Amino acid sequence: MSGVRQLPAYILGAAAVLALVFADQLNSYWMHVAIIAMYYGILASSWSLLAGSVGLFSLSHMAFAAIGAYTSALLIKWFGIPIPLGMVAGVVMCCVVGGLIGWVCLRMSGPYLAIFTLGFSEIVRITIATEDDVTAGMAGLHTDPLIAGAATRLPYFYTAFALLALSLLVMGLLVRSRWGLFLRAIREDEQAAAASGVAVARFRILAFAIASGFAGLAGGFYAHYIPIITPSMGDLNEMAKLVVMTVIGGMERLPTAVGGAIVVEFLLEELRDYGQWRLPLFGIILLLTMRFARNGLLTPIWLRFVRLGEAPGGAPPGIGEEKGSEA
Amino acid sequence: MSAAGELVRGSGLTKRYGGIVANDGVDFAVAEGDLIGLIGPNGSGKTTLIHMLTGHLEPDGGEVAVRGRRVTGRAPHIYAAMGVARTFQLTQLFGRMTVLENLLVPGLTRPHSTREEVTRRARGYLAFLNLSHVEHLDAKNLSGGQQKLLELGRCLMLEPAVLFLDEPFAGVHPRLRDELILRIQELHKEGRTFVVVDHDMESILRLSRRLVVMARGAKIADGPPETVRTDQAVLAAYAGL
Repeated sequence: MSGVRQLPAYILGAAAVLALVFADQLNSYWMHVAIIAMYYGILASSWSLLAGSVGLFSLSHMAFAAIGAYTSALLIKWFGIPIPLGMVAGVVMCCVVGGLIGWVCLRMSGPYLAIFTLGFSEIVRITIATEDDVTAGMAGLHTDPLIAGAATRLPYFYTAFALLALSLLVMGLLVRSRWGLFLRAIREDEQAAAASGVAVARFRILAFAIASGFAGLAGGFYAHYIPIITPSMGDLNEMAKLVVMTVIGGMERLPTAVGGAIVVEFLLEELRDYGQWRLPLFGIILLLTMRFARNGLLTPIWLRFVRLGEAPGGAPPGIGEEKGSEA
Repeated sequence: MSAAGELVRGSGLTKRYGGIVANDGVDFAVAEGDLIGLIGPNGSGKTTLIHMLTGHLEPDGGEVAVRGRRVTGRAPHIYAAMGVARTFQLTQLFGRMTVLENLLVPGLTRPHSTREEVTRRARGYLAFLNLSHVEHLDAKNLSGGQQKLLELGRCLMLEPAVLFLDEPFAGVHPRLRDELILRIQELHKEGRTFVVVDHDMESILRLSRRLVVMARGAKIADGPPETVRTDQAVLAAYAGL
C-alpha cells in the first residue's frame, strides 16, 4: 500500500497489542483517564480532518459530540432501541446536521466560518440547557450504560480503543484516497481546485458531514460510558480544550492529533494538584506551539517515526502522504 | 445553436462591479484549433471575460455556452469537466502539495481514471515541461517561471478542449518565457485550442493566429494580428495614440 512503511506499522501494531494485553494493569482511575483520552482522540482526529486537511476551522465540533450524545440517549429513552442503534442514529443525525452546516457555510472560510460555527455551537448548548422537559437541562440526562453489568472499566477501554482504531482507519483511508487529495487541494486554493475539476461545494459538505459524524460517534460513546450527560459537554471550554489538544499534537495529521489528545488529557490529570493553574500552562504551550512549531509538537517526532527503517536519503513520501514542510 | 467546431461562446456578456461596467455586452467565440491573443490596457475587462467564460464569475447579463450547451451560472468544475481549462493571472497552485500531486488532482477528477494511469500521464507532462527533477518538491518552492509551467501542466491533465491562459508570461524570465511559448506552440500543433491573455505584445504577436482587443469593457477589434495591429481604434485605445 502506497506510503505505508513496514517497520513503523509493525511497531504500532505491537504497541496496540501491548496496550490491549496490559490494559488491565491500569487502576480504575487511570483507565478512566485513558478512556476519556481516546474519546478526545476520536474528536481531535476528526477535527483535524476538517481543520487540518480541508482548512475549515469549525468551532462546532464539540456541539456535534453533544448532538450525537443526546440523540442516542433520547432515542433509547423514548423508543427503547438498542444502544448501538442509538449511537448509529446519533452518527447519522450529526452527518445530516453537519452536512447542512457545511452547505450553509459554503462561501465562508477563516474567521467568518469560525464565528458562524461558534454561534451554532452556542445555539445547540443553550437549546439543550433550556429544554428541561426533553433534555433534563443543566440537571443532566441519565443514560443507559453501553455495557450493562460491567464490573470494571476494561470493556469500555476495549470499546473506546476499537472505536478510535476504526475512526482512524476510515479517516486514514479517506485522507489517502483521491478524495483526500481533493480535500487538501481545496485547503490550498478553492478557486484552483474548482478550475482543476474538483466539485468544491460537494467536498466541503462531505468533509463537514464526515467529521461531524465521527464527533457524533465519540459523543454517543461518551453518553453511554458516563451515566449522565450535560450541555457542558458541547460548551466553548470543551471546544477550546479540543483545539489545544489538536494544535499541540499537530493539526494536519490524524495520528499527531490523537497523540496531542492523549498527551494533554494525561498531563491535565497528572497536573491536577496545580488546580486551575495548569490551564494557563497549556495556554502558554499553545502560544509557543503556534509561534515556533505550527505543525505541532508531535509532528517532528511522528515524521521521524514513520521514516524508521528507511535508508538515509530514502524514497520521497508516497502520493497522498503529506511531507513535513512547515506551513 | 453553435457553429460547427465552436468550443466556447460568450454572448452579450455583461458584468458590473458597483458603478463600473467591466464587460459591456461582449461577444466572444472560440473555435476548435484557435490560438487567440486577447489584449487590452489594464482594466479593459480581459480577466473578467475569462472568469465568465470559465465559470468563475456569473455574468450579470448574457450567456455562456460550451459546445453549444448553455452553462451560464454553473460551477467552474462543470466547465472543467466539459474541457475548459484555465490558469490564473497570479499563479494559483496547491502550494503545500508536491508538484506531482498538483497534476494528480485534475487527472483524478476525470471519470474512470486510475491512480496508475494518471500518475503515468502526469510524469509525461512533467517531462514535457522540464519539471521531472522537481516532482517531489512542494509547489510553493518552485521559481515563478516553473510555477507558470506547472499551472499549464495542471490544465493539460484535464485533457482540455480549450485552455485560457491569463497572463502566462507575467514576471517570467525571458528564457522560461521562450520555453513556455515553445510548449504552447507544440501543443497547438497537436490540436489544442488556446486563448492567451497578456501584456507582452511581442510574445502575443509571436503566438497568436487571431487577435482580440478589448478597451473599456468592450471588444474593439477581432481578426488576424497583422490587420488588428494597424487598426486605428486599437492604436488609440491600446497605445493611447
